[in-house]
Amino acid sequence: MHFFSQVFNYEHPWSTVVIGMWHKYPNPKCTHVVSIDVLDRTVDPKTGIIRTERILGCKQKTPGWILALFGGSEDAFVREISFVDPVRQNATITSVNLSLSQFATCFERIQYSPAPDNRTSFTQTAEIQARMTIWRSAADGLERWLVDRFEQNAALGKLGFTDVLRTLEDRLEERQTTPA
Amino acid sequence: MADSLSPQCTSLKQEYDSCFNVWFEEYLEPSLATNATEAQRTAHYQRKAEEFQTRCGKVYAEYQNCIQNAVKQKGIEPLLQQAREEHPLREPLPPSAPPSKDSK
Repeated sequence: MHFFSQVFNYEHPWSTVVIGMWHKYPNPKCTHVVSIDVLDRTVDPKTGIIRTERILGCKQKTPGWILALFGGSEDAFVREISFVDPVRQNATITSVNLSLSQFATCFERIQYSPAPDNRTSFTQTAEIQARMTIWRSAADGLERWLVDRFEQNAALGKLGFTDVLRTLEDRLEERQTTPA
Repeated sequence: MADSLSPQCTSLKQEYDSCFNVWFEEYLEPSLATNATEAQRTAHYQRKAEEFQTRCGKVYAEYQNCIQNAVKQKGIEPLLQQAREEHPLREPLPPSAPPSKDSK
């Protein structure tokens, strides 16, 4: 089992970041995400909470030995559930891989909440674990590869999202200063 | 805007996304979270939830018709069902660890 976590602030207000969540892809810095689909979305009229289930299609260069041992292909899918709570100003995103999930799981959680000075704190944790039923050294290798991919994608995600937020902020500011 | 996993669904998907995005920006209305009374907020979210259905409900239904088929055809359905059973996630998870306060 591998754990990953990072915490930092985005220099944008919470509302911008949460609007930005839906504009993150396609992203020239995160070309591994090639498709996104909404499979379910509900808006709770009482709490205001929006729950969204999405499926992300990813393309990763997969090492030959992983394909040989575990099958699969370069197309991988991830299920993502997000909750946006506008009253408590909290957004959480939980993701888990669908592809290769018989062998290993990568369970990721992200939280965006307001931070002082109109910034937004980003908390990300992930647990990457090979399932016990497979041959130990193959399991370790698969786990290691998933961890490396995850860390690389997490770094790219930060860079890519920073660009998206900057552009979005400009657009939102323009909208506010332009008379309707 | 990102493509759909099925090229046939991409145009419906993008139409739905655009509809949602416009609605969502109004929905969040930052001033509401801080300045409104609870009754005002409740009324706003109720009205907005209905408005979402009116504005985006039709294209959502068409998009779902397309994408749910594509998910079956691509063989993703069984994996998705398994993931839904393992983690239904009908409610937000409690926060894992409180974010450290003074992180830069």
